[in-house]
Amino acid sequence: MAEAQLPRSKRRMSRRKFMIMGINAAGAGTGLLIAAPIVGSILSPAFYKFKQPWVLVADIKHVPVGVPTAYVVMLNQGGDAWQVPPVPRTVYVVKVNLSNQVQLITLSNVCTHMQCDVHWDINLNVFFCPCHGGEYSMEGTNIAGPPPKPLFRYQHKLVGTTLYVRNVLTEGN
Amino acid sequence: MAQGLERSPIAAKLTRPVSGLMATTYRWVDERLGVTDLMHQLLYEAVPRRGAWAYSLGSATLIVIILQIVTGMFLLWTYVPSTTEAWESLNFIEHHDEFAAIVRGMHLWGAYILFIVIGLHMVRTFVSGSYKKPRELNWIIGVVLFLLVLGLGITGSMLPWDQAAYWTATVVTHVISYFPLFGTQIEEILRGGPQMGPATLTRFFAIHIWLLPALLVPMIGLHLILLRRHGEHGSWVNYEGVEEETEVERSRRMAAAEAPYPALPSDPGYAVPVDLDEFFPSQVFKDAVVSFALVLIIFVMAIVVGAPLERAANPAALNYVPTPEWFFLPLDQLLVQFPQAWMIPVGVFVVPGIGTTLLMLVPFLDRTPGREPWRRPEVMVPGLFTVLFLVFEAMLAVGRLFNL
Amino acid sequence: MPLLAAATPQLTQVPISTGVATALVALLMLTHVQFAAWQQGGYIILAVSDFVGWKRKSERYDRFSKGLVTALGATFAVGGSLAIFAVMILFLGLWAHFWIDVQRVLFWPLVAEAAAFVGEIICLYPLYARWDRLGRVRGLRVGLEVLLFINAELQMLLINMVASYMLTPRNAFNLPAIMMNPTEIPLEIHRMVGNIAWAGAIIALTAGIRLLLRSGHRPDVRPYLDWMGHYGLIYAIGFTIAQPLVGWEYAKEIQLHAYASWYDMMLGGLSVAFLFQVFLLGAIFTVGIFYLWRRVRASGFRSPALAVCTLLSFGAWMLISTPSSLAWSYESVFAANANVPIWQGGLLIPWGAMIPWKLTALVAFTGVTIVALTTYLKYVSRGKLRWGDAGRGQAISLIAVGVAVSLIMALMGFIRENSRGPFLITNHMLINQQQNYSPPSSTGPALQGPASNSGVSVILPVETHP
Repeated sequence: MAEAQLPRSKRRMSRRKFMIMGINAAGAGTGLLIAAPIVGSILSPAFYKFKQPWVLVADIKHVPVGVPTAYVVMLNQGGDAWQVPPVPRTVYVVKVNLSNQVQLITLSNVCTHMQCDVHWDINLNVFFCPCHGGEYSMEGTNIAGPPPKPLFRYQHKLVGTTLYVRNVLTEGN
Repeated sequence: MAQGLERSPIAAKLTRPVSGLMATTYRWVDERLGVTDLMHQLLYEAVPRRGAWAYSLGSATLIVIILQIVTGMFLLWTYVPSTTEAWESLNFIEHHDEFAAIVRGMHLWGAYILFIVIGLHMVRTFVSGSYKKPRELNWIIGVVLFLLVLGLGITGSMLPWDQAAYWTATVVTHVISYFPLFGTQIEEILRGGPQMGPATLTRFFAIHIWLLPALLVPMIGLHLILLRRHGEHGSWVNYEGVEEETEVERSRRMAAAEAPYPALPSDPGYAVPVDLDEFFPSQVFKDAVVSFALVLIIFVMAIVVGAPLERAANPAALNYVPTPEWFFLPLDQLLVQFPQAWMIPVGVFVVPGIGTTLLMLVPFLDRTPGREPWRRPEVMVPGLFTVLFLVFEAMLAVGRLFNL
Repeated sequence: MPLLAAATPQLTQVPISTGVATALVALLMLTHVQFAAWQQGGYIILAVSDFVGWKRKSERYDRFSKGLVTALGATFAVGGSLAIFAVMILFLGLWAHFWIDVQRVLFWPLVAEAAAFVGEIICLYPLYARWDRLGRVRGLRVGLEVLLFINAELQMLLINMVASYMLTPRNAFNLPAIMMNPTEIPLEIHRMVGNIAWAGAIIALTAGIRLLLRSGHRPDVRPYLDWMGHYGLIYAIGFTIAQPLVGWEYAKEIQLHAYASWYDMMLGGLSVAFLFQVFLLGAIFTVGIFYLWRRVRASGFRSPALAVCTLLSFGAWMLISTPSSLAWSYESVFAANANVPIWQGGLLIPWGAMIPWKLTALVAFTGVTIVALTTYLKYVSRGKLRWGDAGRGQAISLIAVGVAVSLIMALMGFIRENSRGPFLITNHMLINQQQNYSPPSSTGPALQGPASNSGVSVILPVETHP
């Protein structure tokens, strides 16, 4: 049926329809204009990039082999000072005797399961996580409990016997 | 209108001329605002007569939520949502501002009591089958409210930015990173960066103060509107003998029902409780007593125990043992029970997800005819085992955490 | 320590060998535990039955509660005497050193335990002697039963402190740590649930036997016995559902805190006993579900769902009873790859070193039994079962479940006591120290708690206090 043949009231309906469409469109446009920047601001942290400088740990000449030793360093995280200020973090300096050569490993003490703080337990001879009972060997390998990955390692640099780390984590073996 | 006034005792009381001037003033205001009408609408309602103490749990929940909103508002007079000052401001409260410390204690104990009361309210509704036709949607809204309150509890516990708060926030945000595909991105969005930082605190502050309450308050309104629409169901004791009555008796009973009954569509016989009572003052009295008792408990606990504040957050902690809030203990135990790689998402998302979905779908899964719990084993048996499971999980978590 | 050193020389040893003494103590304690478990589970069933009988005005529940309280009164007299005999004669005479150590370490819990005994008598005796008269104030009677149950719960909590302390002891000078030792809560839940199941099984067993007797065929008795068997069985298998999860959690704590015992139970010499244990567990579930299926059939209803449940449970039973190997020694464990993770081609999975098919079977038992119980109760709640229809097969099933639960209780006690060997208190006290004991020198083995050193050599101060 053509538009002109419709009674007057029905044709009025199409005008109504137009206005309703207009309301919907204006509403959607308003919503979009408000939502776009909000969603953008919500999502932006997922795409941050930071440059990480080297941070002094200590002279590790006297760290004994086979005793994981904890150091607290202020990791300068680069980027904006408010967004990511320097944060104290524990770095475990581990000297392991592997086939007659001493290896240096700089472990993060953050559990790979739920990011709780692990510590070296001399009774169990493991890195133990109190949250859910995860255990790691001296090299950071996950050996028991829920952790899905080995402990992360900080990138490090030795200048003589002075150790520097930076806040770039690599996966352990 | 006139008939309504006669039936409402509060309306009668309010419109009674106290003195010439008072009465005139009241009438002036009432003609413009409709206070009498409003009071009448709020207080005049029929409710089931039997088991009424058990139905006071819903209004007790409402009162405690209002308490939370009010105490929360006044905590903001001192609290500063910043990683450097949040702990300092609360430390100041704890040591130099006794009254603010009580307010903080009431906010914490209010939250604890709220979980208990909501739990009992849900159990009561579940056991009496109140979620059945036509109240299915109100059950679903109730489950959403419960989830929102859980969210408020967990975000609130992050705000003090002491050790407990910091590690709770760390674990909770990291749990989400096990979500398939986008996990890490969601974690970074919530933390406001790759790791915990100032943005994390402000985000969770905003979620706790604005986002969740902005969802919670309208949902509560909807919950109450639907409650008023269908009337209180009560429990099976109010429907004794309804399945044996004749068609004539039933239609006579439904015709005589006072507002808001009969609740339709409903199973035959269950549209109106057998015996009705007035909401005001019978039910309101019981509600008031229970709510007062709860607020008294909250007040006493706030003074006697108060709210703990541990040392300020230290991301470099070595020997700190993070423990979850008690209402998250069952979930924490699931983290232990689902170890390593692909199983972690199962324990974190699949098991609680299935549990929540089933809880929401209870009105649609329960196809039993009656209301008595012993006539509905299809839901009561799995429900009982779920509650037992949660209790055992919490107990096991307590034993495990105590022995670290 | 000086207390023990001073007290020890005055003790007169009963001149019998360690083996005989151990056997005597084991026999008496196992019997005592069986009695105590029945009492404890019976109290809660009593409270529930009496409450239901009151609220629903059910004559059947009233009759059952009265019978149960009589039985509980009688068995309490026997079991209580056994307990006193055990403490007086056996512990003081044969295992004096153990008893002194436990007395010293857990003095206050044991005092409270003795007080709870008085409480039990105060609650139980009026119920036993004046049941009908108390029935005039029904709320009071039910209240007394609830008190009795809470009292018994407390009793078990306290004695579990001793039992769990023996397996996973903590620092002997820290009473809260001992009271909340690692296996205390898992043991508590395990026993609480198990005792209810055990009491239910005894009730089912009694009903089953009486159904077979000639007197059980009288038309006035048979419907009641039929109902009683069903009622007991619901408790027996209903509460056993929780056991796989709780038991696994218990084993995990043992693995963490008493590895030698765990190894002995799971992979060592006791693994055969454990295999028999899971066989019995499968039997409880399978025969229980079989009963549900046939009982519905006896009243003339075919339930395909219950038939499928029986089949599934049977499959799980066969699966769980399959040994990875009969692991008498580490070599046989090794041969069966039971010590190698599954991703390296072995049998261990991350759920605390479990063989995959055993875990599957345990999960299946839990799920299938919940479904079967729900389906069965649907028939009961709709009033479709006519009590008195039960046949010979159902009576035998009830007896089988009762026997299986009894056996599993005894076997569990046997495993628990033997897994600690040669220790009486893990790493603290040997069994044969009971008979030929030399007083310790300045620092005795009994008082050496594990060191609580965090084990971190910190060079810079780690905790930065603001």
